[in-house]
Amino acid sequence: MSVALIALSILWFGLIAYAVLGGADFGAGIWNLFAVGPQAKRQTQLINKALGPVWEANHVWLIFLIVGLFSVFPSAFAILSIALFIPLTIALIGIVMRGSAFIFRTYAIDTTAPTTTWWSRVFSTASLATPFFLGAAAAAVASGKIDITNGNVQADPGTAWTTPFALTIGAMAISLCASLAAVYLSVEAHNDHDETLAEMYRLRALIAGAITAVLGALGLLLSQSEAPILWQGLLTRALPVVIATMLIGLATAAALFYRRYSLARILIILETAFLLGSWGLSQYPYIIPPHVTIENAANDPNVIVILLISIGIGMVLILPALYYLFSVFKLPTPAPGVEKKEEHTASEVSQEKSS
Amino acid sequence: MPDLLAARAQMGTSLAFHIIFSALGVGLPLLLCIAEGLALFRNDKTWMMLARRWARAAAILFAIGAVSGTILSFELGLLWPTYIKFAGAVVGLPFALEGFAFFLEAIFLGLYLYGWDRLSPRAHWLCSFPIWISGLASAWFIVSANSWMNTPAGFVIKNGKVVDINPIQAMLNPSTPYETIHMILACYVATGFGVAAVYAFGMLRGKRDDYYRKGLMLAMAMGVIAIPLQIISGDANARFLVDAQPAKLAAMEGVFKTEQGAPLEIGGLADPSTGKVIYALEIPRGLSILATFNPNSTIKGLDAFAPADRPNPLPVHTSFDGMVVSGFFALFIALLFWFLYFLKKRTVPTNRLLLLGIVLSGPLSFLAIELGWMVTEFGRQPWVIYGYLRTKDAVTTAPWLNISFLIFTLIYVLLAVALTRLLLGVARSPLPKVEMPGTSQQPEKAGV
Ligand code: HDD
Ligand code: HEM
Ligand code: HEM
Repeated sequence: MSVALIALSILWFGLIAYAVLGGADFGAGIWNLFAVGPQAKRQTQLINKALGPVWEANHVWLIFLIVGLFSVFPSAFAILSIALFIPLTIALIGIVMRGSAFIFRTYAIDTTAPTTTWWSRVFSTASLATPFFLGAAAAAVASGKIDITNGNVQADPGTAWTTPFALTIGAMAISLCASLAAVYLSVEAHNDHDETLAEMYRLRALIAGAITAVLGALGLLLSQSEAPILWQGLLTRALPVVIATMLIGLATAAALFYRRYSLARILIILETAFLLGSWGLSQYPYIIPPHVTIENAANDPNVIVILLISIGIGMVLILPALYYLFSVFKLPTPAPGVEKKEEHTASEVSQEKSS
Repeated sequence: MPDLLAARAQMGTSLAFHIIFSALGVGLPLLLCIAEGLALFRNDKTWMMLARRWARAAAILFAIGAVSGTILSFELGLLWPTYIKFAGAVVGLPFALEGFAFFLEAIFLGLYLYGWDRLSPRAHWLCSFPIWISGLASAWFIVSANSWMNTPAGFVIKNGKVVDINPIQAMLNPSTPYETIHMILACYVATGFGVAAVYAFGMLRGKRDDYYRKGLMLAMAMGVIAIPLQIISGDANARFLVDAQPAKLAAMEGVFKTEQGAPLEIGGLADPSTGKVIYALEIPRGLSILATFNPNSTIKGLDAFAPADRPNPLPVHTSFDGMVVSGFFALFIALLFWFLYFLKKRTVPTNRLLLLGIVLSGPLSFLAIELGWMVTEFGRQPWVIYGYLRTKDAVTTAPWLNISFLIFTLIYVLLAVALTRLLLGVARSPLPKVEMPGTSQQPEKAGV
């Protein structure tokens, strides 16, 4: 295995991490749009509580991807930046507005002020738009329609990223994010003993999951004519993964149906991983089909080795820290340094400790 | 607007916006760590209140820092694809390492900001260490990438191809020690004086309690330690430029003609059309002495470079002088503050003029950062990678760059307005009630 392929696999792992973590944060923003009626306040609180401690860390996976891509495949990054200038710029605006609007509405002193409501809407709209444009851009790459005749790239005005295939994948990205978020939110609500909300998100997860499945099937059909390289790969090399993705999807639905929330959370993460894995596997060895391959876009192998070493060292630091973050805020396991007690006795207990 | 100009303007605006949050992102966590540590070890409520209040502001500032930083990462490709193809290949390493520093920072920030009620006081305090350490590391990494643009190293060009890449050597290029130290110090200077300005402003409006005094003192302590070092390191930077980037030095000092025993031009406008610095205070041989310790040394002027290779001295010289003036002003204020403090047997001086000076030194320190970057970036022109890639050859071919510039400018204006309103709201909201040692409940209504 070449070092470039190892590096690409790590980047793909980063992509999966961004999808299941960052994607769910976008999904929560989408559900914020539906937070109306008598349950609105509790839903908003649940979303704020779910996102607050983790969204910035989740977001860094995107930075990791960008930096990794331009360090390992500099020329591919340059081509994508030019060709996908428009959808990436729009997605960037979405990312920026999502992050800042979330903060502006969460930290607002007056939660009922019109500006706060406005930021809340911006938060939702940006959460909806971003996955769509990222999905459409990804589909444009997979379709092989990015035009690099004799090394000359042009900004694509829409021929590659507004095809029916790209639009379908964009929509599927939205529904995938929404289903991820709905599953996580049902777990959080369930852990908070709020069964009304848990039920509500369980139902939403099932609906969003079904939509994702339909769009996925449609995308698959369209890829036959619109993304031939992808289609070929899906039916040959990636076929076992494709079948596994479908089976895991069904299992997720079953787990939700039987209210096994934590199991559903694990399954939907797996499903997303397999889905993205099948894409990667089927367009191998291309980074941007049909011209840019892993080999001809890779940086000097010596540089990649140094990058891999530093990624390894970095991960040794990051992964335990990430685990700690999630165990403090998301997992039932007791973490060191956590005080398990009622809010009100908090100060008394610690007073004893320090004296 | 021509595309190149629009791209440069968008890049410059984005960086000028981001740097404010970066500086605070490096400086504030250290202040938090010290304040919370003092609160725990002295069992002191006031320090804990300060830490709580700063943490709330930090949560907002860091989020804006993260989104504005994301804009930059995209822009490196969206606006400058040719640049990133080159830079990514050679100097991707510090960018990648910076990514890991961000990761650690964001993880512990989540624990710190949302963990007041979940973590034990000691565990909570310990979480502040990785934040300031990784903030410092990220600043070092990103500035080493910028240093590489100024003094490219760690590669060879053979037949138009970049070969023999050595990323470590690229990261440790000749400028790195100078620029990274100067920038990291600048973060502490700006945070110190910036926070001090907030409390000095409060004291000017009659608030004199322990809370304000302690806030002011800690911030001024950071300021007074950092600012002399900042000036010493800036001096070393300038001397380093004599050989490393003579065109930048010439633009900075307004030297048009190569001269033996060059004078120092203080202030004034370096007018490239007439080749003269007008309205300047001139100190004969000053520059030769400052730059080389030899009154008769020769300093290269802009005329030593082909017209196509010259930076525009007007903004570079003016920015340089602005930075230096701000620096000396801050030094003066900090020394005066501590002199009066010890003179009056360790009481915080409340002289109105001094407080006013502190209020002024805050914005001026941030201005110094902006101006310093204008020196570095405008002074490097017309190159984006000095001597290897011209800015005009690095820009993207994508259309509508001026629309993109317009949209991002509007976003920055919107963010700046919303942020200012929010921070003012936080400043005006009543102080959190703190029960020592600091595990009381967060105010619920904000939904944290
Ligand atoms: C608080 C902010 C601050 C203050 C008070 C100063 N500087 Fe500075 N300066 C910066 C903040 C800064 C900066 C924004 O951080 C820069 C931009 C790039 C860099 O590495 O640091 C910078 C760059 C910079 C450069 C260009 C370096 C290069 O392009 O390679 C020089 C020559 C100086 N400074 C010199 C000075 C001198 C002689 C000062 C004496 C008072 C001074 N600076 C005070
Ligand atoms: C955060 C502080 C910084 C500020 C305020 C700043 C400011 C600016 C400005 C004003 C420009 C436009 C210059 C012109 O075209 O005339 C610019 C360009 C640029 N900067 Fe910086 N800069 C900063 C840090 C950095 C760093 C750390 C990097 C890279 C690692 C960087 C990379 C670039 C690039 C690639 C360009 C575009 C090409 C060029 O104009 O030379 N900058 N910056
Ligand atoms: C001297 C210049 C710079 C310094 C000192 C600096 C420092 C920082 C710091 C401390 C943060 C953490 C967030 C915060 O505390 O607000 C941050 C965020 C960020 N910066 Fe910069 N930065 C600089 C320039 C740049 C440039 C040129 C880029 C583009 C490549 C960049 C990319 C980012 C990104 C992507 C983030 C977000 C990380 C996250 O998601 O948490 N920065 N920067």
